Amino acid sequence: MKIKSITLACMLGLVVSTPATAASELEKLRSEVDALNAKAQEWEEWKTPKTLVHLAGYADVGYSDTEGEPGSFNVGTFSPIFHYQYSDTVMLEAELEFNINEAGAGSVGVDYLTIDYFMNDYSALIMGKFLSPLGQFRQNLHPSWINKMASAPVGFGHDQAAPNAEVGLMIKGGFPTGNGTSNYAVYVGNGPTLELEAPDEIEMIETPGLNKDGDGKKVVGGRYGIFIPNQQLDIGISAATGETSIRTGSTGSYAYDTARSYDALGFDFAWRVLGLDLRGEYIKQEVGDQAASVAATGGEWEAWYVQAAYKFDSSNWEVAIRQSQYDTPHASVDRDQTAIGVNYVFASNFIAKLNYEINENPNAGQTAGDRVLVQLAYGF
Amino acid sequence: MKKLHKTVKPIVAAVFLLASTSLYSTGFAAEKPDTKGDAGRGAKSWVDNCMRCHNARDPKELRDDQWITTTYHMRIRAGLTGQETRDIIAFLQMSN
Repeated sequence: MKIKSITLACMLGLVVSTPATAASELEKLRSEVDALNAKAQEWEEWKTPKTLVHLAGYADVGYSDTEGEPGSFNVGTFSPIFHYQYSDTVMLEAELEFNINEAGAGSVGVDYLTIDYFMNDYSALIMGKFLSPLGQFRQNLHPSWINKMASAPVGFGHDQAAPNAEVGLMIKGGFPTGNGTSNYAVYVGNGPTLELEAPDEIEMIETPGLNKDGDGKKVVGGRYGIFIPNQQLDIGISAATGETSIRTGSTGSYAYDTARSYDALGFDFAWRVLGLDLRGEYIKQEVGDQAASVAATGGEWEAWYVQAAYKFDSSNWEVAIRQSQYDTPHASVDRDQTAIGVNYVFASNFIAKLNYEINENPNAGQTAGDRVLVQLAYGF
Repeated sequence: MKKLHKTVKPIVAAVFLLASTSLYSTGFAAEKPDTKGDAGRGAKSWVDNCMRCHNARDPKELRDDQWITTTYHMRIRAGLTGQETRDIIAFLQMSN
């Protein structure tokens, strides 16, 4: 009876005070919701800013055992890639490369650094230091988490037959073509330089991406490719032309010899068929003769490879085989290589590789050691 | 030593000409590109293009905002069109 009386009294009290209290409670609730909305918008801000920042890259470590040499553990490379993007207008891309030499000392380089202006849906203007667009391996396949093998094909390493990088201006993009898409790159850049092998030979064509055009001779070039999705076939042709010269001296006091012609020509293909990933590439760089030069005779640096890889269905195992050849004016450098590999794909971006390379020098009196390579590669 | 010199110049000129002619007929044509990404088209572009070079990455590997910069990076690397780029971003963000 007592409880009933108290409940009744409370209800009467509520009825009497409801209009004022309800309005106050409603106002309080509205304020809280507004405050929560403001907080929620703050929390969502990171998803939709006009400027985006992203760190990507890759790294690899491994073990190498070359015939006639002691086997060694090694750190391959650590290559962080920085992306700064403003809306869909511009992107700054920079890839650094950290290495450790045999003595344990570290070094760092800039693989590429470009500002990319997206002009329209079909073209971007790229300026700075960029990976050479000639062929596919140097610009797209060299990162260790992408490369199916633990090494580059012979002739496709730094300062070999395939140009590495360029400093200049490039227009790159793609557009629909019938049943497929075309992709293209055209550029003008500072070009390569030549290293002299005393007293009168050209040792190599250096293509690190020169930050100063010491000889004042520009190179123009490009690549045109067609991708046919229903065939999973990608084919491309690359070419470059210009002039270059021998550089002597050291930083700050370089001297340049009389200029000579420079040309490059390449073909590449990639084809995914019957579960196989097939690809191949041919590249040749040529420098002309120059009678007024300390090294009158020019030369050709030529390389090619073909590669097949197969990943077993419902399995993490993958096998790969690659044949490559590198031909230069210097007998001691030439290589024929057959590489076979077994990969374990832990994740799409984390791969363990075991390779055996059969290396031969086709020239009389020259040798090249076979190698076993183990590599862990991670792309992030 | 001028074997390539005779043949490369016309090829370089042809690459420049082909790129500029095609650009003129597509990039600056009357048809205005669809500005929004389409996840359906993006799924096909993702399958077709990513595996041209590397294993396809799981959409859940990165956050939505990270897929934007990553895909624009790949627009440069693979020569994707702007529309393919937006379509692939829409697919990756939808699948994330």
